Amino acid sequence: MRSPRLLALAAAGGLLLTACGGGGESVDTGGGGGGGGGDNVLVAAVSAQPDQFDPHVTSAYPSFQVLENVYDTLAVPDAEDLTMQPSLAESWETSEDGLTWTFTLREGVTFHDGSEFDAADVVYSYNRIIDEELNNAYRFATVTNVEAVDPQTVEITVSQPTPNLPALIGGFKGMAILPEGAAEEYDLTTEAVGTGPFTLESSDASRTELAAYEDYWGGAPSIDGVEFRYITEPAAALTALQNGEVQWTDNVPPQQIESLEGDDAVELATTPSVDYWYMSMNYAREPFGNPQVRQAIATAIDRAAVTEAARFGAAQPNQTAIPEDSFYYYDYAPYDANAQEAQSLIQQAGVQTPLTMGLMVTDEFPETVTAAQVIASQLEPIGITVDVQTVDFATWLDRQAQGDFDAFLLGWLGNIDPFDFYHAQHITDGSSNYQGYSNPEVDRLLDSAATETDEDARKDLYDQAAKLIVDDVSYLYLYNPDVVQAWAPGLSGYEIRADKAINFEGVELP
Amino acid sequence: MTGQPLPPPDAPIAGQGDAKGTSPGPTTLRPARPRWRETLGLLARNPTAAVASVVLLLIVVLAVFDDTFAPEGANEISVTDRLQSPSWSHPFGTDDLGRDILSRVILGASVSLKVGFLAVGFALVAGTLIGLLAGYYGRWVDDVLMRVMDMLFAFPAVLLAIAVLAVRGPGSGNTALAIGIVYTPIFARVTRASVLGVREEVYVRASRSVGASDWRILTRHILPNAAPPIIVQTSISLAFAVLAEAALSFLGLGTQPPNPSWGLMLAEGRGYIELAWWLAFFPGMAIFLTVLCFNLLGDGLRDALDPRQRTLMAGGGR
Amino acid sequence: MFALVHLVPGDPVRLALGTRFSQESYDALRERSGLDQPLLEQFFGWAGRALSGDLGVSFRSGETVTSQIAERLPATLTLALASILVALVIAIPLGTISALRPRSIIDRIATVISQFGISVPDFWMGIVLILVFAGTLGWLPSGGYVPISEDPGAWLQRLLMPALVTGVVSGSVITRFVRSSVLEALGSDHVRTAQAKGLPTRQVFTWHVLRNALLPLVTVTGVQLAYLLSGVVVVEIVFSWPGLGQLALQAVQARDYPVLQGAILLFALVFLVINLVVDLLYTAIDPRIRR
Repeated sequence: MRSPRLLALAAAGGLLLTACGGGGESVDTGGGGGGGGGDNVLVAAVSAQPDQFDPHVTSAYPSFQVLENVYDTLAVPDAEDLTMQPSLAESWETSEDGLTWTFTLREGVTFHDGSEFDAADVVYSYNRIIDEELNNAYRFATVTNVEAVDPQTVEITVSQPTPNLPALIGGFKGMAILPEGAAEEYDLTTEAVGTGPFTLESSDASRTELAAYEDYWGGAPSIDGVEFRYITEPAAALTALQNGEVQWTDNVPPQQIESLEGDDAVELATTPSVDYWYMSMNYAREPFGNPQVRQAIATAIDRAAVTEAARFGAAQPNQTAIPEDSFYYYDYAPYDANAQEAQSLIQQAGVQTPLTMGLMVTDEFPETVTAAQVIASQLEPIGITVDVQTVDFATWLDRQAQGDFDAFLLGWLGNIDPFDFYHAQHITDGSSNYQGYSNPEVDRLLDSAATETDEDARKDLYDQAAKLIVDDVSYLYLYNPDVVQAWAPGLSGYEIRADKAINFEGVELP
Repeated sequence: MTGQPLPPPDAPIAGQGDAKGTSPGPTTLRPARPRWRETLGLLARNPTAAVASVVLLLIVVLAVFDDTFAPEGANEISVTDRLQSPSWSHPFGTDDLGRDILSRVILGASVSLKVGFLAVGFALVAGTLIGLLAGYYGRWVDDVLMRVMDMLFAFPAVLLAIAVLAVRGPGSGNTALAIGIVYTPIFARVTRASVLGVREEVYVRASRSVGASDWRILTRHILPNAAPPIIVQTSISLAFAVLAEAALSFLGLGTQPPNPSWGLMLAEGRGYIELAWWLAFFPGMAIFLTVLCFNLLGDGLRDALDPRQRTLMAGGGR
Repeated sequence: MFALVHLVPGDPVRLALGTRFSQESYDALRERSGLDQPLLEQFFGWAGRALSGDLGVSFRSGETVTSQIAERLPATLTLALASILVALVIAIPLGTISALRPRSIIDRIATVISQFGISVPDFWMGIVLILVFAGTLGWLPSGGYVPISEDPGAWLQRLLMPALVTGVVSGSVITRFVRSSVLEALGSDHVRTAQAKGLPTRQVFTWHVLRNALLPLVTVTGVQLAYLLSGVVVVEIVFSWPGLGQLALQAVQARDYPVLQGAILLFALVFLVINLVVDLLYTAIDPRIRR
């Protein structure tokens, strides 16, 4: 799911919405979870209310938690390794020159309103995103035409080879396929007409309810439905799980992991995610345009300590962006958390210390606030006074866009393809290159990697680019966090995923 | 802000508003002035208020010399020592970054009190001035000024402060400003009521007839008469301001990390409440104790200075 | 107020798009939400529609503002009324008893209790209650809201703690008003006259004292109710209570101007209506005002 975009309304502090109501009739409050009395509904505690349900418009994680179960895309990331697998498209192929993609669609798929799925729906959905310049239009940057060849075949023409096209159109449910004319026929902000395993029944300020879709092309789910309850406070979500009010939650703060490991009432799962958190310094603000200053800072920071403080160890320190489990992982760690070395680097740089660095963080993502305080304490000894500036996310985004920062901490979430990890962030004038990095060699490498169709050659190009990015400290990479989720013992058929997509299609209650 | 808003501007407060103020009884010929020795004497005879003053004094001393008293700095991070329960080396325990909570509570006192004093200082100056002008000149001046105050008043206090902070950005200074703005109408109302009570008194009319300037009349005759309720209101407002700072910091809008503020520490400790109760408990106690003392002092002052209780009862703002 | 809302820095469009998007998407969304119009034009457009009851559409959810407010009204009403009930149950007996025996032990205890209630940070009290009743004892759920129509038992369980917290705070304030107004009524001329005429104490008390003490009580209760209805933001957050305060705070954070403007309008209305009701009650209770 999640695009390689920052999900505006992710977990976050107490800002968001309401919490659960428990004990509705459909809920078995007995120990161990649901399943009694024919109530075959999974109750999942999530941390926030979805903002809306139009998959092409929303950018909020709480919305995609629901939409993941309602809509389908042509391709879908494999639960294990996130490679692109067939979904609404049964297969696809590329022309010799790499400029034409042909998708063969699955037959016998029906939408929740009963209409038949075919090529016209794909053309309609993609053109809606492109023509109305919706959020994800950037994913079609190289796409010049989307055409229905016949009801079972869609042809996509691109202006240059785009090896990651399946990841672009299948990476998350923001690229969902709607029935033709859906936007005119339905109020997509509150209604959903997908092809997925569940239908959207209702949603209010305390819960969202889904029902199993009997005609789902992958076979009807074994549970009757899913109820998402919003429980803001992690402690409340865990209590609800422990006493059986809910059977699943992702609202588990890392500090709780240790105490939950010995808890028989809770099944705890963690897996490395494809997110990464980083620090970015503004090249336009001296002395941070000086590579030696950035390298000194990169050398002074002890990523293990930052990770321990911010995530209670539920993360992997990493000096590059891509996590260890990925095919594209590049084992490169030139900085070794050495204050003395950092000190001499900063002296060589010839800047006057002590100097002050504003470090912008947001309480939308509390781990950045914690990490910033640890970084501040690590930079103090080398003569850099860090002024931690906590702002709300709206202000944060504004200041980032205006270049009004010395440095900031944030993460990129839900990255699937190496293009998502590196391209727009580091190419000269890239849309996410707020730090102002520009290295012609990196530009060349990123550009050729974007069109390279051979996987090994592509990895090699990205490795070279990553090395330069790390050496130049375009981004100062910190860690890849773990996904942490918990559910009732005996719940089966659920798979925790690195991209934090939550899919209840195959779940069976204990 | 945790507190309730204030009574509506035109509602009589406990039936003791303007109506009674216009017949001030025996002080008719002489403006009442705060009599300090007498006031202190009265306070000393009120044991609760006396104890509250002493405790407050201690807190202020602690806040002024916080660096001396705090065993550690506010931000001595030591992740390996995190979440330690209270012990001899850390009497209040340590927080999620291994910082000494006792030290942070002590250092947080100056942050919380500074915001409180700044906020009340702002409200006191602005509100008193507005109240004096409105009450003394009456007519359209009164109408315009008091309608503006009413508008501020009608707005839920928390939201007004949040709006101010959203515009100005978070931080201690802006928090003080936001709370000050919220509280200005109270001072304006209290002052205005007192002014109305004496405006037509013999001694005021007498000064006016001998050609005293408005400024002289306001400062020499009217303000002294209005002083007792304003003093009481100040003490009560300080209680409110400390609470408000805590609530705003709790919402992430007030004091920003890594600075220690009681409300912020409470908010940070909330996520650890089951693992480590001391993170939220001690800052909470600090807020409670300080606010309680300001309220008790305010009560004592009211008994001593303002027997007719023209000030808002009950911890202004709540 | 409209100006203040729009003065808040931060761009709702950028917030809605997340962090990865093209300039074209940005421009398109800005145009769709009407934010490319001059501010004055936006204001008159909004004010005109608001007069006919159309408060616009939320940037965030695409739902109408009226439906968002309506969705949260039951939770807010429930909590406000329950809190006032708790407050009055505490305040009237406590205030009256301490006024009847001023400076007695009971009076002093009541004063101390109300001082505590006024001074304790409500969110802290909430956290401690959650820790004790939801955590350690496990008697009550730690938060949330269930409509009474769905499950009255669950509704009550979830209402208890937040209502207690806000009720104790409001109750402490009201107690002091009750005490002082009863004291004042007891000292007033007509009560003394009534006593001098030899009327039975009970009759004097109910007819003369309580009636007079009722006026300030109505005022302060009205004020407290207005406050509770405009949303007890912090308590709502601690108890995950889906009320209006939370909605307003969220709207500030999301720069959701239509929702924020709608909420402000509603709060102003609540304030006006409650003032009006208080005035009407005055006329009903106090014969001197009835002309």
